[in-house]
Amino acid sequence: MASLIGGHDEGETYAEIEQRRSSDHESFLAHRAFFWAKLAAILALFVVATYLLVDVEPRHNGGSWYGYTLGTLGAGLIAWLAWLGIRKRRPTPGSWSLAGWTSAHVYLGLSLAVVGTMHTGFQLGWNVHTLAWVLMMLVILSGAYGVMVYATLPRALSENRRQMTREQMIESLSAIDRQLELAAQPLSREDTDVVVEALEQDVFGAGLVARLRGPGGQDATRRALAHISTGRAYDDDASDLAQQQVRSILGKRSSQIDQIRRQMRTKALLEIWLYIHVPLTFALLAALVAHIISVFYYW
Amino acid sequence: MTFLIRTIDHTASGREIVRDREVEGATLTIGRATTNDVVIQDLAVEQHHVSASFDERGRVKLEAQTNRDFAFDGYKTGNVQFDPATGGTLALGLYSLAFAKEPDGQVLVIVRQEERELGDRDAVRKFDLASAMPNKRVVAWLGVLAILAAFLAVPVWTNLARADKQPGADGIDQVAWDASWSTGKLSLAHHALENNCEACHVAPFVSVRDETCLSCHQDIGDHAPQNRLAISRGPMSSGDALLWQIADVFGKEGPEACTTCHTEHEGAGRMEPAAQQFCSSCHETMDARLADTALGNAHDFGTDHPELQALVHGKLGSAKLTRVTLDGKAREDHGLRFPHAMHLSTTNGVARMAGNLPEYGEALVCADCHRPTDDRNGFLPVDMESDCESCHSLVYDKVGSTFRTLRHGDVAQMRADLIAMDRAPRSPITSGLRRPGEFKRGGRYFQDFGRPTQNYIGIARALSQEGVCGECHVPTGSGATASVMPVFQRSHYFLNGRFDHEAHVQEDCTSCHAADTSDSAKDLLLPTLATCRDCHQGADAVEADVPSTCAMCHSYHPPAFRGRKKGPQSVPPDRLAGLPSGRDANR
Repeated sequence: MASLIGGHDEGETYAEIEQRRSSDHESFLAHRAFFWAKLAAILALFVVATYLLVDVEPRHNGGSWYGYTLGTLGAGLIAWLAWLGIRKRRPTPGSWSLAGWTSAHVYLGLSLAVVGTMHTGFQLGWNVHTLAWVLMMLVILSGAYGVMVYATLPRALSENRRQMTREQMIESLSAIDRQLELAAQPLSREDTDVVVEALEQDVFGAGLVARLRGPGGQDATRRALAHISTGRAYDDDASDLAQQQVRSILGKRSSQIDQIRRQMRTKALLEIWLYIHVPLTFALLAALVAHIISVFYYW
Repeated sequence: MTFLIRTIDHTASGREIVRDREVEGATLTIGRATTNDVVIQDLAVEQHHVSASFDERGRVKLEAQTNRDFAFDGYKTGNVQFDPATGGTLALGLYSLAFAKEPDGQVLVIVRQEERELGDRDAVRKFDLASAMPNKRVVAWLGVLAILAAFLAVPVWTNLARADKQPGADGIDQVAWDASWSTGKLSLAHHALENNCEACHVAPFVSVRDETCLSCHQDIGDHAPQNRLAISRGPMSSGDALLWQIADVFGKEGPEACTTCHTEHEGAGRMEPAAQQFCSSCHETMDARLADTALGNAHDFGTDHPELQALVHGKLGSAKLTRVTLDGKAREDHGLRFPHAMHLSTTNGVARMAGNLPEYGEALVCADCHRPTDDRNGFLPVDMESDCESCHSLVYDKVGSTFRTLRHGDVAQMRADLIAMDRAPRSPITSGLRRPGEFKRGGRYFQDFGRPTQNYIGIARALSQEGVCGECHVPTGSGATASVMPVFQRSHYFLNGRFDHEAHVQEDCTSCHAADTSDSAKDLLLPTLATCRDCHQGADAVEADVPSTCAMCHSYHPPAFRGRKKGPQSVPPDRLAGLPSGRDANR
């Protein structure tokens, strides 16, 4: 899908790969020759134009006839956009393909920013109505981020994998660990401790911040590598050979961890928006219900 | 005694490989170093960790070789002795060394490596962010519940559960947490209701009713009766009709409701006045629909507005008000004789007199006689004592160094004062007879018993055209009924418009009031529409000095609409000459 969002200059091979991919795969963004993009753009332009042309006294607000119209349209859009969460779990009922649905979701979702904002008449304050607007905008922004990373990051993900599956990465790390454990057997207590620490290190135990920070950080493996450094004079040390071996294995381990971390980082960047998009969508639906009921409760 | 070492390993497929070997000697060394009798390939184990030996009683003695302890039968220790027949297990890292006694007396040491997960089967899933984040569904539900509780359940519940469903700004009957429902600040006039939503939003799902507005705004004047409003407006456009049909379904009161024009929650400040379009939609061609209207059509002050009309006392001495068109020739007859031009002259006797009096300048100016009201919107009625009398003296006698002055505004009192003045020469009641001694004329006890003919002459003269009263007033009647015509001063000339002098303070009086050229008190010195238009044009005339909406001068709800009949429209009755006190001046 990446190729369909703007060009790329990674070189011949990529172009070829992408061309091949494009021929049998149509991105949801380009679905039906950008039908939904065009429709959403027309909707947004129409709303902006009518907003400027319709004369509301004393000034635009959600409580004018025009405001209620936009509010109804916006609420309908929100409900339909949220329905994607249910729709995507069902295998293609009806004539709408999931790609078409997702395409409409993305573009109509973007136009919702215009509809919703015009509905406010730019009258914002500390109240449940503005809360709904803020949540809506955050959901839309996170969604826009999601579309962006879906278009760009999968390539980074496959580049980083270098033909390896995730299982293979883990297996590779295990193999390195086994080698390391054997190689470290002759080491002194002190050296062994840092190796044990490296072996006990949980690569996957990283929290959100560590995942987003990605590879290159100080960890037990790098500390072990630094400890058993080449700077030491080992010439007369019986375990010199073992240390060299350990050092080289630790280096392999470190780069394997970096690859895993890069993978985790890209995955995190690829998935983080859903942790905003989905819970905030539900918060938005709640705020929307509170907004609509409260407006008519105090009618 | 010897040790029989039995190592049990597992193949990749899980099959056990058992190897036995004997170790000769009384001591068994255990550790990571390959020189040990039992090599434990575990980095947690010391190079030379434990040694096992026999004591004199045949018991096995385990001793740590470094300061690192080991675990024996679950206890951490550095030194332990046990009977091999009872057995025991030494744990080193992931290895366990179980000691037992063979029937042949050998001590069997079974070395076994615990299963160790090197490759975590679930690790693949840990690539996903989900392993480091809270569950989306849980977060979503928490957010939903928090928002629904705070922004819906609490206000609705406290609204429904109030014992006393009366509007009130404080107390337990107040709806809680409904501030979050406010769509914006109220106008300044309604600021006190900011935290009292239920004052206007009385019943759930019922739009704000007129009766709620009118519970405070009791004296608000109706613009016109509802049926006349409807006729004036004319038929709605189909779009408006549709909108009102929809609004009706949602329970809105209709186009005549207060809230149709008065939108609230538009932010702190004055409630916005209605736009010109709002008025002109009816008034532009209203006479076509409302045939009997007295109002002229208007839709823009600069281009389409009837000539101004003033409410004046047109007939001398009459309290009746009539409307005259301000065309530059308008007249009124308020009962005073007062040429403005003469008083404002800078060269004549008036100016000379003003120049001689300390409280005036070289000549009179408007403010010498016209005092503004406290709000400076208008002017107080001219008052004889404070505004005229310093020149127009009512002194009629002098006793020693003190002047006696007539009381203004009461003809009967003036008459009595003048009659009682005994210094006027009287003809003697007898002739030829003179009273003796101190009783004679000029004597200490002299009394003038003559008829006060001269006094009556004085009264008649005062009330004549040239007399002290007639100087400013119009005399009326003769003899005992002689008096002056009542005076009516208007403080407001406009019936439907509003004028604020304070807002025009930067202008000279004469730029609107042509007083300096008016020789007659009957000149109605109010400006014409054209004069106003020098500065004021319609709301859309952006290049005008003052683009003016209708609301600048007109109010949809005239504040004194109902009260107009009540308040004083002219000088109070006791200030009216010629009318016995107690009679209604406004009859």
